[in-house]
Amino acid sequence: MIGHIARKELAELVRDGRFRWAAAIVAGLLLVSAGAGWTRYRDVSAQHAAAAAATRAHWLGQGEKNPHSAAHYGIYAFKPRLPLSFLDQGVDEFAGTTVWLEAHRQNDFMMRPAQDATAAQRFGNATAAGVLQLLVPLLVVLLAFGAFAGEREQGTLRQTLALGVSRTQVAWGKALGIAGALALLLVPAALLGAAALLLGSAGAVAPTFGRGAVLVAVYLAYFGVFLAVSLAVSARASSSRLALLVLLGFWAVNGLIAPRVAVDLSKRLDPAPTAFEFARAIQAELSEPMDVARLEREVLDQYGVETLDALPVNFAGIRLQASEEHGDVVFDRHYGALWDAFGRQSRTHEAIGALSPLLAVRALSMGLAGTDVEQHRHFAAAAEAYRRSLVKAMNDDLAFSSVGVAAYAAGPELWESVPAFTYEAPRLASVLGSRTMSLIVLGLWVLGSLLVAAGAVRRAPVD
Amino acid sequence: MSATNVGPELRAETAPAQPKGAVLEATGLTRRYGDLAAVDGLDLSVHPGEIYCLLGPNGAGKTTTINLFLGFVAPTSGSARVGGLDVATHPLETKHHLAYIPEQVMLYRNLTGVENLEYFATLAGKGALPRTDLLRILGEAGLPAVAAERRVGTYSKGMRQRVGIAIAIAKGAEALLLDEPTSGLDPKASNEFSALLDGMRQRGVAVLMATHDLFRAKENGTRVGIMRHGRLVVEMTTAELGHADLERVYLDHMRD
Repeated sequence: MIGHIARKELAELVRDGRFRWAAAIVAGLLLVSAGAGWTRYRDVSAQHAAAAAATRAHWLGQGEKNPHSAAHYGIYAFKPRLPLSFLDQGVDEFAGTTVWLEAHRQNDFMMRPAQDATAAQRFGNATAAGVLQLLVPLLVVLLAFGAFAGEREQGTLRQTLALGVSRTQVAWGKALGIAGALALLLVPAALLGAAALLLGSAGAVAPTFGRGAVLVAVYLAYFGVFLAVSLAVSARASSSRLALLVLLGFWAVNGLIAPRVAVDLSKRLDPAPTAFEFARAIQAELSEPMDVARLEREVLDQYGVETLDALPVNFAGIRLQASEEHGDVVFDRHYGALWDAFGRQSRTHEAIGALSPLLAVRALSMGLAGTDVEQHRHFAAAAEAYRRSLVKAMNDDLAFSSVGVAAYAAGPELWESVPAFTYEAPRLASVLGSRTMSLIVLGLWVLGSLLVAAGAVRRAPVD
Repeated sequence: MSATNVGPELRAETAPAQPKGAVLEATGLTRRYGDLAAVDGLDLSVHPGEIYCLLGPNGAGKTTTINLFLGFVAPTSGSARVGGLDVATHPLETKHHLAYIPEQVMLYRNLTGVENLEYFATLAGKGALPRTDLLRILGEAGLPAVAAERRVGTYSKGMRQRVGIAIAIAKGAEALLLDEPTSGLDPKASNEFSALLDGMRQRGVAVLMATHDLFRAKENGTRVGIMRHGRLVVEMTTAELGHADLERVYLDHMRD
């Protein structure tokens, strides 16, 4: 019975020129945006690989020089893009994926909160995620608004119910028929995406497919919410026009208004400093002179000597490392506060997902694509840890290997003792663990929309 | 071909005998909207092989009566029974005994006549009827195969009514509820529809038809009831009446 209603619904939709046009537009945009995303992922990954090899070669080939000069010579670190980033570029495009690692400075990633962009802005970027988050739900609305209201106006609902079919059976049939029509559009796109991942991924594909499977489930849940809400509204609306109006309002609140509200509210609740204020505050603290006299006393006491010349180590290296650690404390405090503010803003976004499933889906989508703020922070922390180990290796060499040498210069052995920078993205469980709120919010939306739809359908008027 | 997925004309050899009692039965059936009684204490029964024509002016309660039998409206008091089952307590089961043809048979415009019949017959629990059976049933209902293969969007009202009859035949309904089925049909189409209705009666279907058409009521009906202000004010067999008598009786009861 339900299958038969679904097949009829699908046949009608497929024959409807409006569906064919709308589906063709959405499919075209999805294909173009995903293709552009994939090309960018492939190009950037290749550029990163080439640049990483080049920066390593430069490091190893820098010749003989003072280790502290080598620390200033520095090295680039590149955030590896996960294959799924072709679907959702998240904050990467705005926050950057490259950082310059050098002595004394924790250089900025350009912390522009792209995550705060409204959905309309994201649509302007024409990412596949934007199409999935905004246009596919719009297509669901256009397919489903007349499910009950339209049939009621045509009189076919009366005809159907007079046969002894329950409203719930009609609703399930409609839902499956519409889902089938969407599948005609989305399944080929998903298969293309899977093939691209299989053929184009460097390294193990299992983690990518694990993330991809969860991503598919998240988007299916999201579309399911829109379908259930559309059926509920259609079941209760007095006309298909009213149903369409209400559903377009829901779509606009979900995709345009709620994200804007989330941005403004989260900024108001947890303001983050501007880039200028942030840099100025750090600089102000760094410019405060270190207590070198006290350091001298401590080092002399440690080695039991009276003068710096009597030290078995080069005090310059000790002082440079102490200066580095002094700066680290400042950086940790300021960056920690900044990241914490972004984290709180992110949680506010997720909480406001109660008003808009898009916010939950967006957070999960970026997380699974490896392009959210949290994973940016994860990479930044790894890069900073590497910077500190590199600088410490240089300072230690200066401190312990240059005693009594007038113009000390280290060579390739020291450069090679510093391993190349490698980075491993967080595992799926860790990503989902950091997105528990979004998972709960999306789950509640699914449950709530199903309950509302069930109630509305049961009370759907015949005429 | 099984006896469960064909119309009553083919089931006759194997199907059990029609129920002896009334297929459609209203007892003290009342539906109120605030102070207004749309149907007020209606007692009515329609037996197999009978066409009961319900006459009355607009707002007399004819369509509400049909809706009460369909379970689309809940009774305020009393009961509507179909095949011995109370509609209020068995809303889905009772519909399995029924076929319903409204004033405008509404079908899916993007599907052909045969696809519409296949769809509605399957929803009625008839399973997947072979295409040849579907075309034959539509032929029985007066719709030629050429027309049956066209999308319903191109159909006239009369053609849609024929699909409605075909659905009833395919369903093997024991009772047929008709709400102004000949309204808007030209005389020829109306006459052909009457012939189809008589065919249903001869198959033992109990027919309850709400209509304004006194002529058709006299031609097709075996009994006529006249409603006014929700009440059944007179009931008689048409065999006892000539055309003039029915019109006189009707008009007499319409006077305040």
